[in-house]
Amino acid sequence: MVRIPIAIGLTALMIASPAFAEIARVKQSSGTAFVQRNDQQLKPAPGLQLLAGDRLVTGKDGRMSLTFVDNTRFAVGPNSSIAVSEFQYDKTRQKGSFVTQVDRGSLAVSSGKIAKSDRDAMKVRTPNTLLGVRGTKFIVEVPE
Amino acid sequence: MRALGLGAACLMLAGCATSSLVLLPDDEGHQGSVAVLEADGQASQSVISQGNSRTKLGEANANPQPLGEKGLKPEEAALLTTLPPPAKSFTLYFDQGTTTPTVESQSVLTALRAEIASRSGPQVEVTGHTDTVGSEEDNDRLSLQRAEEILNWLAGQGIDRSLMLASGRGERDLKEPSIDNFSSATNRRVEVIVR
Repeated sequence: MVRIPIAIGLTALMIASPAFAEIARVKQSSGTAFVQRNDQQLKPAPGLQLLAGDRLVTGKDGRMSLTFVDNTRFAVGPNSSIAVSEFQYDKTRQKGSFVTQVDRGSLAVSSGKIAKSDRDAMKVRTPNTLLGVRGTKFIVEVPE
Repeated sequence: MRALGLGAACLMLAGCATSSLVLLPDDEGHQGSVAVLEADGQASQSVISQGNSRTKLGEANANPQPLGEKGLKPEEAALLTTLPPPAKSFTLYFDQGTTTPTVESQSVLTALRAEIASRSGPQVEVTGHTDTVGSEEDNDRLSLQRAEEILNWLAGQGIDRSLMLASGRGERDLKEPSIDNFSSATNRRVEVIVR
């Protein structure tokens, strides 16, 4: 009698934790670059799996590139600090929401399935602007 | 007057450049757009849709300027060259009721293996499907077995299992819509996305 609620509780936990699911994979990096996850700094080796909330940081000689599970592609330029503040994707329905915050530096984006799924499902925030991405390729630059 | 004052202050201070957006056509030459939803704390309804343009951000009325003859700045061009390659899809077909890829699909397997091997930090999504012959439960099982068959073959060819994920969709995502219990070579397939 006691086991059943525990089993249900565990299942609910597994379903309710999409925040810990892989959202993207690092493809390449060079120079000074790391992924900030809470208080950890992770080396962006090819294949590193990213989670929602991760911040991409590069120094003046640093670069990083990654591909998200909805096929969105990022290239991060030097001197950048960029957070993937929100990423939710339902693979079966090909819908989701995606918010990236470019605090500093440069980011090239080739948008994927989330941007196509609903109007402004993909957003990019800079210190003075909120952008809604409607399916395209673009570069956002935020000088220091 | 106020805008002029701010502009003058920016000229005097090094590093006071404003944020900007460069809008480009996608890899297929299709031109999408970017909406400015908020600028400087104010709601905005500007939509930037001119390809190959540059827009200063932070103004409610976006005013895109053509890149013109000068084109991209060298650092922008360099940034674009570091975008990862686009995701690529492969489809393998199966003989009825089996997990055996058709003879025609053998060359696709070879191309698939080569594509994965050529990528840095690859991620491989393997999704199995069936036609509508048989029960839904059997087809759920068969679709997953088909996906696992491909994953196992790739693993046997030296592709790291941790890069790959197999799942089965049974008869839920028919490529060719059909009635129940209809044999379809088009629907008996495994779709692989390489990122």
